[in-house]
Amino acid sequence: MKLYDSFRSALQSLVVNKLRSALTMLGVIIGVAAVIAMVSVGNGASASVQATILNLGSNLVTVQPQFGNDQGLKGAGAQAQNLTLDDMRSIQNQLGGSITAAEAEQQTGRWQVTAAGQNWNTQVTGVTEDYPTVRDWKLDSGEFFTTSDLNVNAQVAILGTTTAQNLFGDADAVGQTIQLRQLFGGGRDQRARILNFRVVGVLTTKGSTFGFSRDDQIVVPLTTAQHVLTGRLNVVNAIVIKATSSDTMDATTSDVQNILLQRHNISDPASADFTVTNQNDTLAALSSVTGTFTLLLGAIGGISLLVGGIGIMNIMLVSVNERTREIGIRKAVGARRGDILTQFLIEAMALTGLGGVLGILLGWAITEVVHRIPQAANLPLLITSGTVIIAVGVSVAIGVVFGLYPALRAARLHPIQALRYE
Amino acid sequence: MNQSVVQLRGITKTYHIGREITVDALRGVDLDVNAAEFLAIMGPSGSGKSTLMNILGCLDVADAGTYVLAGENVGKLSDDKLAAIRNKHVGFVFQTFNLLSRLNAIENVELPLIYGGDRHQRRERALGALEQVGLGDRVHHRPSELSGGQQQRVAIARALLNDPSMILADEPTGNLDSRSSAEILSVFQRLNETGKTVVMVTHEPDVAAHCKRIVRMRDGIVARDELVPHPRRAEDEIAAGIGAAE
Repeated sequence: MKLYDSFRSALQSLVVNKLRSALTMLGVIIGVAAVIAMVSVGNGASASVQATILNLGSNLVTVQPQFGNDQGLKGAGAQAQNLTLDDMRSIQNQLGGSITAAEAEQQTGRWQVTAAGQNWNTQVTGVTEDYPTVRDWKLDSGEFFTTSDLNVNAQVAILGTTTAQNLFGDADAVGQTIQLRQLFGGGRDQRARILNFRVVGVLTTKGSTFGFSRDDQIVVPLTTAQHVLTGRLNVVNAIVIKATSSDTMDATTSDVQNILLQRHNISDPASADFTVTNQNDTLAALSSVTGTFTLLLGAIGGISLLVGGIGIMNIMLVSVNERTREIGIRKAVGARRGDILTQFLIEAMALTGLGGVLGILLGWAITEVVHRIPQAANLPLLITSGTVIIAVGVSVAIGVVFGLYPALRAARLHPIQALRYE
Repeated sequence: MNQSVVQLRGITKTYHIGREITVDALRGVDLDVNAAEFLAIMGPSGSGKSTLMNILGCLDVADAGTYVLAGENVGKLSDDKLAAIRNKHVGFVFQTFNLLSRLNAIENVELPLIYGGDRHQRRERALGALEQVGLGDRVHHRPSELSGGQQQRVAIARALLNDPSMILADEPTGNLDSRSSAEILSVFQRLNETGKTVVMVTHEPDVAAHCKRIVRMRDGIVARDELVPHPRRAEDEIAAGIGAAE
């Protein structure tokens, strides 16, 4: 029996039982659609997390201070203070061309800022001159400060777009003066320290990371932060190094570790007074979390696909029973076991295959609808070709697996008994 | 000239019903059928004629004895081999027609060629067979749109398609009125005149009287085997307005 004839008779019998075929297929359609929709939401979430991480700058190696083992104060809320600007400079000098750039940062906390009669409270961070390169963050207007500004502790400031908007509205902020105020003392003795800063630039809009707006901040030269704002001289909270590419990050990580161990006179890496974090590791950790999430969602879809498959088996068994006589007739005129087996298998596969295709369309429609829900609007929904191939492959495989038993039963029928069946 | 189509020697068949009851359906049947014979197998129910029919049609295998069909020993073949033999050598006509209700006449006739034979000639040969049984104008009708006699003629066309060594008809007129019965018998007689071998199982003497030879079964053996001196002609009966079974 030729395959063409098997297909023809399979399709014929599906068309004859339209309603039944449609209902049976519905199980597979819903299953496949669930897999597609769930996995695409999962993939979207994972891509969104990844984009968020990369929004902080790409190929980053971050060094943060930590209490060494010998200091006995591990994890006690206090901030370790053992990274310096000089550490960063020597990383810059020693690694030179093998890294793209490096910068050091000091958090100075929140400050009350006034300008042009407006009042705003925001985060002020001290950074070094290569901050825009390391963070992949360009200026919207003005110029970033330079090493000479750092050398003289210049009171210059770069504003995030939200901050600039709140202080100056639509007017150009560059060249304006802002005042940072700090209150100290309490009650009647409370006094304020007022520091004037000249705005030299405004950053481009960056959006938010894990819910925190990155556009509401002020950056000033690191030395200014240390000497003028906090008084914590030569202390930095983080050194951030941008590797040349994702591939060189591991090498850069160990280079940075070696330089700092040497500078801090520590022989045992286990007792280092700093930690070096590789952005790849962060991404890997997060993608394993989102991967598990996606797997879970896929499994839920998979279960409904399994239920659909059982539905196929059920209907195929009914169909074999109902068509016992037909099988007898076919056998009488010369159909071999293989012919009957193929016919019923193809019928099951046609059901699941068609169901799979319709399921993909439905799944795609569902992701489109999800996309229109405001809360999920910026979640990219990814239907990858891999998902589609797997969904169709799995549904056809389900046709084979769940169609095999009914088809075998049909093929094994004895022609005489089949012909006598009422 | 008298080329042998069927040669049965010492065929036995025992059925087991439940654990204890056994039925000896056939107890040593010898039978020869030559080419271009028109043979009726008769006998009361339980005489073993259905079992004999199943074995003749290669739907079942004998417990013992030899069966040579068209020169081929088919005694102990596998299921798939038997299917191929049925496809090539046997054309079945059943009492209940056994057409596939969702296929139209020509698709039903084509069925044997799906399982063996050339696809390109399929349509033409099916059309030819339908014309041979006088249904050239009912090609695209479904079985439900045809009368009983017409359905049986479609079944005969299907049986003819692979040019089998033998047409095996099991009570072909059992579900038909007398006029349709006469028509079916006339089709068989015409086919037989063109050289086809026809073996027909029936319990109606009036139907058997149209055959050239009658084999009577009793208790699992051939009880009598006789030639019919003057077979009745179904065509004459139709012309005279009398049914075959009256």
